[in-house]
Amino acid sequence: MQILRKTDQKAYAKAKKLGPKGVVKILKDKGLTGRGGASFPTGLKWEMVLKEKEKEKYIICNADEGEPGTFKDKFILVNNPELVIEGILIAAYTIKATRAYIYLRGEYEYLENKIRNVIKKVKAKTKSKANIELIVGQGAYICGDETAIIASIEGKRGQPRKKPPFPTVHGLYGKPTIINNLETFANVPLAILFDDWDSKLTLFSLSGDVTKPGVYELPVGTNLRKLVELGKPKHKVKAVYFGCFGGCMPYSNINLTNENVCGKDCMLGAHTIIVVDEKHSIVDMATNVAKFYEFESCGKCTPCREGTMRILNILENISLLEARKRDLETLQELAEVVKETSLCGLGQTATQHLLNALKFFRKEFEEKCR
Amino acid sequence: MLNELRKIQKKHGYVSEDSIKKLSKKTGIPVSIIYGVTTFYAKLHTKPTGKYIIEICDSPSCYLNGSLDIIKYLERKLDIKSGQTTQDKKFSLFIDSCIGCCDEAPAMLINGKPYTKLTKEKIDKILKKCKS
Ligand code: SF4
Ligand code: FES
Repeated sequence: MQILRKTDQKAYAKAKKLGPKGVVKILKDKGLTGRGGASFPTGLKWEMVLKEKEKEKYIICNADEGEPGTFKDKFILVNNPELVIEGILIAAYTIKATRAYIYLRGEYEYLENKIRNVIKKVKAKTKSKANIELIVGQGAYICGDETAIIASIEGKRGQPRKKPPFPTVHGLYGKPTIINNLETFANVPLAILFDDWDSKLTLFSLSGDVTKPGVYELPVGTNLRKLVELGKPKHKVKAVYFGCFGGCMPYSNINLTNENVCGKDCMLGAHTIIVVDEKHSIVDMATNVAKFYEFESCGKCTPCREGTMRILNILENISLLEARKRDLETLQELAEVVKETSLCGLGQTATQHLLNALKFFRKEFEEKCR
Repeated sequence: MLNELRKIQKKHGYVSEDSIKKLSKKTGIPVSIIYGVTTFYAKLHTKPTGKYIIEICDSPSCYLNGSLDIIKYLERKLDIKSGQTTQDKKFSLFIDSCIGCCDEAPAMLINGKPYTKLTKEKIDKILKKCKS
């Protein structure tokens, strides 16, 4: 796997030779894009922060991998954490930041000591003076949102705010901030050091109804069937979920690119694939995902807070065979309202799974209604 | 502040009113704000918890691999529901969102340590070990 290659911190030395502008250029030329879901060009983001005139600048590594079904960042932390730290230090060098934060999700706290040791080791080797502070999240899915992470590090409730201004201009403590996903940072040293580094290779987290779940490294645009077959499903596969927020679609022969998947009203996001086979009911899946959103809605705005609750109620009624067909209309309307009127990405995507399920698997819902 | 609150949670098993007041004095941040932050995060508790905090995942990959049965079994064995603590103050149970062990589902954390590929037999063994 490309992501398991060792650099021995030689990328940091090379970055210093290239200089800040050279680092930005090489990241742009090599085509590194963000791995958190938005695919924003990393070199461009760094350049934006580099150009800001403020003296104080910050770096945040988003290790708050909370999307259900996602475990690729953990995979990197367990198997090649040096890359992540080296990537952060290169960022610090590039924009002359003296302070960086790793926002680690609370569920991974058993990795804390290991990470602290690696920080020490890599810092000693690179002789970087930048401080890396580890902040351990305390269980809030919403903190995967970059503005929510910033609020959380600042000691506030981890609630998102409207963008713009973007963190590159107005980030942590109001200063220009580079905030990247952990997998992105891990790829920085690889992209800088290795001529044959392949920008297309990315990590997929495959789980659910498969006998060989795990992290698979494949090119963006890999065929869905090819990936799922690597997982050796036991029964006939019916649907896939792209985490909770990415929505669901019928199992089909498509190449996994943003465009293809968006055409089905899904989002590829962090390349999370949860496989559902024919033995499982989509109504039950919808209820499970709705429960997740009802729990994780941060409560700041009404449509998301109330909507996710009412949706869960109706879905539970359907599962208990106590709903009528017209409840499906209410469900659909609610889902649309939450999508259209919620403040942040969580609410805006919270009902996509349901809208898709109602579109592609409506029969399963109708069969359970009176 | 999050790291401070986490330390308190670790040390006492919950973030009491008292410790919030103390932290407020130390930092100059109003009690109401610290309280607001505390209640925002699922892992910070404002009521005492048991010696072992069990967080069991109920997100899709675990669900598809039978987490519901495991959760019911655990609730029956401990005789508590999610959010509660056993009378002997040994166990607190929380149903949680994904804990990132989806490739080894179903999974749970006990005091932050992962236990994966859970079966009823495994639960029996783990609880027995905690009790002894
Ligand atoms: S959409 Fe939901 S998660 Fe986002 S701010 Fe509103 S209530 Fe919070
Ligand atoms: S879905 Fe249970 S650990 Fe991820």
